[in-house]
Amino acid sequence: MNMALIALTADAAKTQDLVTLVPWTFIIQIINLFIQVYLIKKFLFKPINEILEKRKNLADKVIREARQAQEEADSLKSQYENSLTSAHAQAASIVSEAQKQAQDKADLLVKEAEQQAASIKAKATADIEQEKKKAVNEAKDEIGSLAMEIAGKVVEKEINEADHRKLIDDFITKVGA
Amino acid sequence: MSQSFEVDYAKIYWTIKTGIPVLGDLNITETLIVSWIVMIIITGLCIFLTRDLKVENISKRQAFAEMLVETGNNFVRNNTGGTKFDKLIPFVSALFATSVVSNLISLVGLRSPTADLSTEAGWAVVVFIMITATKIKTNGFGGYLKGFTTPIAVMTPFNILSELATPVSMACRHFGNILSGVVIDGLIYWALGLASAALFGLIPGAVGQFLSKIPILGIGLPAVTGVYFDWFSGCMQAFIFCMLTVMYIANAAEEG
Repeated sequence: MNMALIALTADAAKTQDLVTLVPWTFIIQIINLFIQVYLIKKFLFKPINEILEKRKNLADKVIREARQAQEEADSLKSQYENSLTSAHAQAASIVSEAQKQAQDKADLLVKEAEQQAASIKAKATADIEQEKKKAVNEAKDEIGSLAMEIAGKVVEKEINEADHRKLIDDFITKVGA
Repeated sequence: MSQSFEVDYAKIYWTIKTGIPVLGDLNITETLIVSWIVMIIITGLCIFLTRDLKVENISKRQAFAEMLVETGNNFVRNNTGGTKFDKLIPFVSALFATSVVSNLISLVGLRSPTADLSTEAGWAVVVFIMITATKIKTNGFGGYLKGFTTPIAVMTPFNILSELATPVSMACRHFGNILSGVVIDGLIYWALGLASAALFGLIPGAVGQFLSKIPILGIGLPAVTGVYFDWFSGCMQAFIFCMLTVMYIANAAEEG
């Protein structure tokens, strides 16, 4: 140890020239440079580039997924739009169908009602006619009985020549009618 | 306080006798020791920054680490115009990190490894080999050799010179800037030390003797000059070196 220290201090007194090319230093520095290249590659570039690559892949993946989701959403949207359009068309056709049916039904109802009204009217007319006939007949009967009553009363009463004549004429007219 | 100015030379701690003829003895210098400290700092920082990473809801630490990586990616991609040179990103980042930390480590009193020409020469030669390899890969070996004879064959020697000037200029530019920072910092400390010794030496008696040994004026001003000579110059040179590396390699790939 002591010897080494002495040797060190003795050697340390020696210096190399200021501007000189020392072959060994030259060679060792080249080797040092390549060792440094290897070390910097191994400890800085390799891990960092791996991380950058990973991050790039991750970003790519996210973008790819986002694009996929977008495409899916687009296709869903178009699907919805299609179904919505068909639903609209269906609804329209249903409505028009219903309208048509309703119209038909209404028409039918109106027609039936008209028919019914017509039949009712016809019946009413017939009834009225019958009633009229019946009334006339009843009146005739009434008149006959009235005439009989009047005749009876007239017979009881004193009739003059003129009344007599007139009565006979009326009677004849009535019977003739 | 020494009266004469001495530049802060790189100390040699150990010498391992190798006996290899051309290379000589292996000197473990201050440059190498501090380089290893720099490497430990950078690697430790990387490990610290990338602890428990998360995909979502990240911490500030992770955000900073991601920012560093993105900055490195963008720097290389913007200057080469594409992702063709993505393999260069860790190299350029390591170069930049090593350069910046090496330049700025002088702030804690250690000697910058980049204030040693061997360091920058090593880096520049690596970059030069990469440029040449890219050229040969782009045009084929024949095309690479043929490139020296453009636009005319007479230009061949100048083309070779300019080719060789690339690594030399890159290495010397970086080295010169950092060394000048070291020298200027040393000069400022030395001058301020002398000035305070002279100023407080005026106080008579033991008090003056004691105070004159402490470079009191050295507090303050070096922090201001250090903003330029250490911070700005250090970051700028690292940036320029990496920028040139990327540009040269990108250009080498374009030549056809």
